[in-house]
Amino acid sequence: MRILLQITLMIALVSGPILTTPSFALSFDDLKKDLKEAKKKLKKSADKGKEQLDKARGKLTEEEEIEVGGNLVSGLLGAAPLVDDARLQQYVNDVGFWVASQSKRKHLPWSFAVIDSDGINAFAAPGGYVVITLGLYNLLENEAQLAAVLAHEIAHVVRKHHLKALQKTMQREFWTDLGVKAVGDEQKREKLQQLINSGVQLYATGLDRKHEYDADLRGVVLAARSGYDPYALLDVLTTIDSINPQSSELTVMMKTHPPTAGRLDQLSRKMDGKLDSYASGQLNAGRFRQVASKP
Amino acid sequence: MMKHLLSILVLSILLVAPLRADQEGIIVRTAPVHDKANYGSRRVGQIKAGTRVSITNRQGGWEEIFSEQEAIIGWVRSYQVRAAESAPVIQDQSASDSRGFLAGLASFSRKASSFFKSDDRSTSSGTATIGVRGLSEEEIKTAQADFVEFEKMKQYASSRKRAAGFSRQGGLTAIKVPHISAKN
Repeated sequence: MRILLQITLMIALVSGPILTTPSFALSFDDLKKDLKEAKKKLKKSADKGKEQLDKARGKLTEEEEIEVGGNLVSGLLGAAPLVDDARLQQYVNDVGFWVASQSKRKHLPWSFAVIDSDGINAFAAPGGYVVITLGLYNLLENEAQLAAVLAHEIAHVVRKHHLKALQKTMQREFWTDLGVKAVGDEQKREKLQQLINSGVQLYATGLDRKHEYDADLRGVVLAARSGYDPYALLDVLTTIDSINPQSSELTVMMKTHPPTAGRLDQLSRKMDGKLDSYASGQLNAGRFRQVASKP
Repeated sequence: MMKHLLSILVLSILLVAPLRADQEGIIVRTAPVHDKANYGSRRVGQIKAGTRVSITNRQGGWEEIFSEQEAIIGWVRSYQVRAAESAPVIQDQSASDSRGFLAGLASFSRKASSFFKSDDRSTSSGTATIGVRGLSEEEIKTAQADFVEFEKMKQYASSRKRAAGFSRQGGLTAIKVPHISAKN
């Protein structure tokens, strides 16, 4: 089909000048020149296509990203459902949406949830989905700490850390056809499904460790931009560091994240002195407690 | 009935447990000491890394410390002080109270199963063998996607209008904060 199209195109290009020349008195040299130009044009557009393809490698359209992310978060919800508490879910969305609104990707359909698991962890999925376990939520003391955890996850989404990890695992050829707007392509569907399957594994193996440190740092800045005390993340990490690392609640988190003490050390060193003027940001402990102590 | 019995039991345990026990700590980073639990408060001095202190109070990411040796009393950020290894780690009871009955129960049961880092004895006995409800590695890998739950999740999403009200109510203002370079 493609070849047929190309042939038609070539004929059209070659015959074009003949048809448009009124006298039809066209020399052989002119014909050759036209043919050469047409060839050049074709090569140029092919090169451009290839360039776009390279650029698109490992990238998805935002639509595709949201679709993959939605499937990934549905998988997490299959393992642990939402905590049945509308007020709590609404509150976490309020905090998360406000923090995400200060990010570069505020236009994403941000959606947050607390899931019913004792495990201490939080997850993000491409496209703007973030979940935090009840186990982690119960360790928090105020809204700034909740904002800090969500900001870390939001940073993963904004910086496309999951997609970068998938880019590493999938071969170069895999990315052809992805990241290009074309709807209803069955092959593309299959590829998105493959991405979802690999993405699920990421939640068990973890992201690149350097991306975790990056999310810590970006997260505290994002929390400060949202008007919260940016030191709250250090407080959360301190609490986690006080937990027996061998307790089953921490198994997955310890496997997928750098050691908490190391994160604390790196983050406090990098933050040192740079965010002091924002440390008077809100903690909103009162509002946090009100939501937690539901009737 | 059962629920009442349980809450009475837990309440009595919480009441019997000391509400506030002074805890031994070590300053892990040289830190400014403030007279109140916020950065805006007066600085009463500085305390060096390695100094042993008593932790007398805890409040939203701050800890009140006291050092006889340095003759200083005041507040430092909680990440600047770590519980001394010999001392048992006691979670602030008032904080768990404020998080409601269920949270209190959860933190109590965790303490009972040596959830927090403690002395050597309980650390070795605390090696967990029981799985965690939901989200073990295996469950993450094998769970069937739950799209009904996903639709429910999306229904709780906030909006720009809602966020504006929420931030105003919480005294939150968006401010410009420059990025911090990762290279240092």
